Amino acid sequence: MVKFDCIVQEGCVDEALRPQLATALENVCLEVLGADAGPAEFSWVVVKKGFGFRGGAPSQTSLVCGRIPDGCDRDTRERLLKNMADEWCRLTGATAHDLVISARDESWAG
Amino acid sequence: MPVYRCVIPEGSLTYDQRAEIATAFTDVHCGLSAAPRNFVQVVFLEATAGFELPDTHGSGTIKADTPYFVAGGNRGGRPPELKAKILAGLLDRFSAIAGVPADQVSGRISEAPASWTMEAGKVLPEPGEEPAEWYEHTAVSG
Repeated sequence: MVKFDCIVQEGCVDEALRPQLATALENVCLEVLGADAGPAEFSWVVVKKGFGFRGGAPSQTSLVCGRIPDGCDRDTRERLLKNMADEWCRLTGATAHDLVISARDESWAG
Repeated sequence: MPVYRCVIPEGSLTYDQRAEIATAFTDVHCGLSAAPRNFVQVVFLEATAGFELPDTHGSGTIKADTPYFVAGGNRGGRPPELKAKILAGLLDRFSAIAGVPADQVSGRISEAPASWTMEAGKVLPEPGEEPAEWYEHTAVSG
């Protein structure tokens, strides 16, 4: 199973854009991880204005934290993150500096 | 990374308090680790005690079992004592700035390998292996 929790700052990723963005990101997952990884789910949490900070200053950064099937090698994981980040930035207009994206193993306990 | 999500009761903290806590968390984290300041993310989520939020660096959910709760997500690879010291520092500063008793604030930090995260278009290095250019740009980009 592939699942990503997207924590976005209010006003940075329009609600109407999210389905298109999710589809684009899922396509990347399918392309890089293969169909066996299964469909991808995306959940959204919006951080209200004045409630998000980076280095102590107001933030525009989106935090996209995902879980993917175990066994992904380093190069594949990096390609997944890079391609997802590229799609995110292309569709939202954000810069790479405004995105933190991760994909941990499904069984990783933390 | 790091990412600190603070669960707080609705309307409980002013903007100035939130900003002060975010700066204090940055001070604590960077004072005890090698992370550059503009990598420290702090967000506040308004919810009631008992709220469950996904563990962004582990599996399952984390239950906020006190009215104020700090859910951290860090790079793995640091000694457990350092992780405990960071968390203690965060909770201490949170309690002081928010003006709430220490027993009303709790938290936990989950960790995941650095290479599983990309920030600013680059895979993160392991703790202690940060290249010099990490520290060349101290300005916060947003």
